[in-house]
Amino acid sequence: MASSTSAAAAAAAVSLSLRLRSPYLNPIKFSQFGFPCSKSLQLVLPCLALDASVTSVSTKGEMEKENKLWGGRFEEGVHESVERFTESVSFEAEELWVHDIRGSIAHANMLAAQGLITEGDRDLIIEGLSKIKIKIETGEFVWRKDREDVHMNIEAALTDMIGEPAKKLHTARSRNDQVVTDIRLWCRDAIDRILIRIKQLQAQLVLLALRNDGLIVPGYTHLQRAQPVLLQHLLLSYVEQLERDAGRLINCQERLNFSPLGACALAGTGHPIDRLMTSQELAFTAPLRNSIDAVSDRDFLLELLSANSITAVHLSRIGEEWVLWASEEFGFIIPSDSVSTGSSIMPQKKNPDPMELVRGKSARVIGDLISLLVLCKGLPSAYNRDLQEDKGPLFDSVKAIIGMLEVTTVFAANITFNSERIRSSLPAGYLDATTLADYLVKKGMPFRTSHEVVGRAVALCIAKKCQLSDLSLDDLWGINSIFEKDVYDFLGVENAVNKFTSYGSTGSCEVQKQLQFWSSKLRHHQS
Amino acid sequence: MASSTSAAAAAAVSLSLRLRSPYLNPIKFSQFGFSCSKSLQLVLPCLALDASVTSVSTKGEMEKENKLWGGRFEEGVHESVERFTESVSFEAEELWVHDIRGSIAHANMLAAQGLITEGDRDLIIEGLSKIKIKIETGEFVWRKDREDVHMNIEAALIDMIGEPAKKLHTARSRNDQVVTDIRLWCRDAIDRILIRIKQLQAQLVLLALRNDGLIVPGYTHLQRAQPVLLQHLLLSYVEQLERDAGRLINCQERLNFSPLGACALAGTGHPIDRLMTSQELAFTAPLRNSIDAVSDRDFLLELLSANSITAVHLSRIGEEWVLWASEEFGFIIPSDSVSTGSSIMPQKKNPDPMELVRGKSARVIGDLISLLVLCKGLPSAYNRDLQEDKEPLFDSVKAIIGMLEVTSVFAANITFNGERIRSSLPAGYLDATTLADYLVKKGMPFRTSHEVVGRAVALCIAKKCQLSDLSLDDLRGINSIFEKDVYDFLGVENAVNKFTSYGSTGSGEVQKQLQFWCSKLDITSAE
Repeated sequence: MASSTSAAAAAAAVSLSLRLRSPYLNPIKFSQFGFPCSKSLQLVLPCLALDASVTSVSTKGEMEKENKLWGGRFEEGVHESVERFTESVSFEAEELWVHDIRGSIAHANMLAAQGLITEGDRDLIIEGLSKIKIKIETGEFVWRKDREDVHMNIEAALTDMIGEPAKKLHTARSRNDQVVTDIRLWCRDAIDRILIRIKQLQAQLVLLALRNDGLIVPGYTHLQRAQPVLLQHLLLSYVEQLERDAGRLINCQERLNFSPLGACALAGTGHPIDRLMTSQELAFTAPLRNSIDAVSDRDFLLELLSANSITAVHLSRIGEEWVLWASEEFGFIIPSDSVSTGSSIMPQKKNPDPMELVRGKSARVIGDLISLLVLCKGLPSAYNRDLQEDKGPLFDSVKAIIGMLEVTTVFAANITFNSERIRSSLPAGYLDATTLADYLVKKGMPFRTSHEVVGRAVALCIAKKCQLSDLSLDDLWGINSIFEKDVYDFLGVENAVNKFTSYGSTGSCEVQKQLQFWSSKLRHHQS
Repeated sequence: MASSTSAAAAAAVSLSLRLRSPYLNPIKFSQFGFSCSKSLQLVLPCLALDASVTSVSTKGEMEKENKLWGGRFEEGVHESVERFTESVSFEAEELWVHDIRGSIAHANMLAAQGLITEGDRDLIIEGLSKIKIKIETGEFVWRKDREDVHMNIEAALIDMIGEPAKKLHTARSRNDQVVTDIRLWCRDAIDRILIRIKQLQAQLVLLALRNDGLIVPGYTHLQRAQPVLLQHLLLSYVEQLERDAGRLINCQERLNFSPLGACALAGTGHPIDRLMTSQELAFTAPLRNSIDAVSDRDFLLELLSANSITAVHLSRIGEEWVLWASEEFGFIIPSDSVSTGSSIMPQKKNPDPMELVRGKSARVIGDLISLLVLCKGLPSAYNRDLQEDKEPLFDSVKAIIGMLEVTSVFAANITFNGERIRSSLPAGYLDATTLADYLVKKGMPFRTSHEVVGRAVALCIAKKCQLSDLSLDDLRGINSIFEKDVYDFLGVENAVNKFTSYGSTGSGEVQKQLQFWCSKLDITSAE
């Protein structure tokens, strides 16, 4: 119909002209203290307008500005763009508030025990903090960007609620030791959360191994067929790697579990505080020995993000292997529909996306580590505001690694190994060549010589388009007279696998021992 | 003179040579590759693809020998492939000693298990010892056509003792051999780093002992914050280095497991004794899973992560000392022995060593990133990619050892300019927190006292004076709570002395820290 075509065309033309009109062509009015956009620009591109509605956390833009808690020596208020650029509440509050309140309660208890505040004040403070906790949990609490960070938001809300006693809470404390206490508590919990996921994945891999008893797969090096291995052996190699990942996290957790609380700004305090008491209440091992070190350093974050990066690399390797094995060319793995996705255009596709994303997310975990290394590099001592940028990478890295571990666990629970396809593919690739070389060594030939003899046998197979076990004794004698009839006990993948007997090898007894070790270790842990 | 014209002619020739782009030259394609035309070789000899480019001989002129793995190969390896894939040029120097040590352990085990005769074992060990001496005296010729350190040594052994040498590789692969070498190398490297860390810690403690009682401004945000004892700041570095050492020790414990006997990836059928080689090489135990043993380089990632964190710590000391050596700070005077001059500006005396410490942290981080990216997404077991692990490893360890050594030397050769520091201390209201604490002791809530002192600071700014210069009337004009004893809390000496909390900058507390470190590092006070 006429109306619809012309209206649609007109709308398209408008949208085109809007898109073609570059915002750089618009006039910009400079006001006295900054550069708000002209009204016309705001109309054309509302998303560029510098107002508070852009972000989800309220900045109380319309309310009268309240004085900062540190405003004593300041004559001017902070410029709005600075406030918006420097606030951290929007990305840290959700993660840190619970630890911040826990730390404040421990601090208030200590202050009262040391006579620095009265028991009445302490009770008011703790009651107030508990109410704030409930408000946050029920979503009633309003986080205000003009109150900068999670600490100031909670303290100001407490002051609003109980008045004068709240102002005593910050005695012998600084945001510098407060924030690093919060982060250490957060990391301690985060490591526990990661460790549980690691164990779940280990258990799932062991279960997958138990479900595939006796299945032989090609072992690859250089992605060329190397030797036959039990699938169980391969799966347990992932379990070993995850165990070291867990070890790194446990070391990291032990090393970070020291209390910075009471280090104050950087030099400690003259108030008779008891750092041991807060350290104990927060279940830290001990207070950190040096107050400057306590507020300066983020090495525990670097260590945690390094550990995560190494875990991510391990998971990326599993991802690569399973994606490869799910391809038509390999065809060794069939993921269930529940862990696959389709293509928007190609009807036949069933993609192993979760493991691709596990492989892919390792990039951001490594990226988070690099951000933090570069952040900390070359900073002078004690607290610098730069350190506020530690939280984004930290939260991102932990979230990514937990997701990767969970999805790998789910994937492991939902794949089937296509044993028929695997078995039928096994004869190719001379997987039994090393076993044959070992046979010759047992007959007394030096290994390097046997390596060469078997190499010549392989060349003969290539010429005859057959496998080693297809060669006749005459064929073999043509290469070297040492061969005897028992050579056929060493050929073929089943024979080859059974010949492995060394500790940690793919021989079925050895793999059985590994399986028993892991089954009992993981069961023991889980109980 | 005529001779000068010939110089001009020579210059013109060299100019025309430089202007003639090599891309303009014809390239002749030979049957198996792309060798440069003779004319190009004449113009730009450095581009010619011949073996003389590198220092390690490729035996280019000798008749090619067969590879030790050449049994199934009909064609030789193309020269450019050989040059691209060889590793002997960068690994031999670092790994040969561990390679020989591993081979001796392996030979001993083979003989003990009856896999070779005792006579063969003796010949092998004698041959290896001779090779060791040859390498030490520089007589040994490393051949690139023999690919890597393992093949070079084994082939040299065969040249020397013949048949028995060919039995050495029984139940061994380069895959487990190289990772055994690297683990031994790392174990040693960590010891070397740990010694340097301890030396630097000791040097910092000595520097602290030499500067007893010196108060310096403590900074946060690089703004003056609170006065601290210099000793306290120096000991904060010692704390950080102690955690660096802890990470390395954890890494060393975790990597000290033996991969030897994992062979290619699946173990072996020969009756080897992995426990015996593990013990002879002073490993804790054999690795439990042979695929894991040859697959994973997580121990390198962990070592390079630990190095990166140490590097970040050292970069922060570098930043601080460079800053303090500037005219504007003027707190540090480096001795001439650790400074360098400018080629153009006669007055300059630059703290280059600490700039380079700060700078080299970049390459240590870069090495870690190389290795993370290298390992990301690799399928299981050995892939040739892993050969690229060695240069970042060697580079990282070399850089970190250099950084630690130079920082130690620098610490031994700086003087703190006590006079300049003392005269600069009154500026910056370093005693403001102490004053706020004073008010808290008088019963005022901390947040209120923070604001009161903030107003006092604003008054000082208006009057261009320090807090201790304000009269009691000035102070009472702000709040009536002030009394005469306020002056016991003003000035940096008073301020420092008021710090009493555990880990704080109070002299009693810092004394305790010093004693702790002196006894831990076996430093006996020099007085």
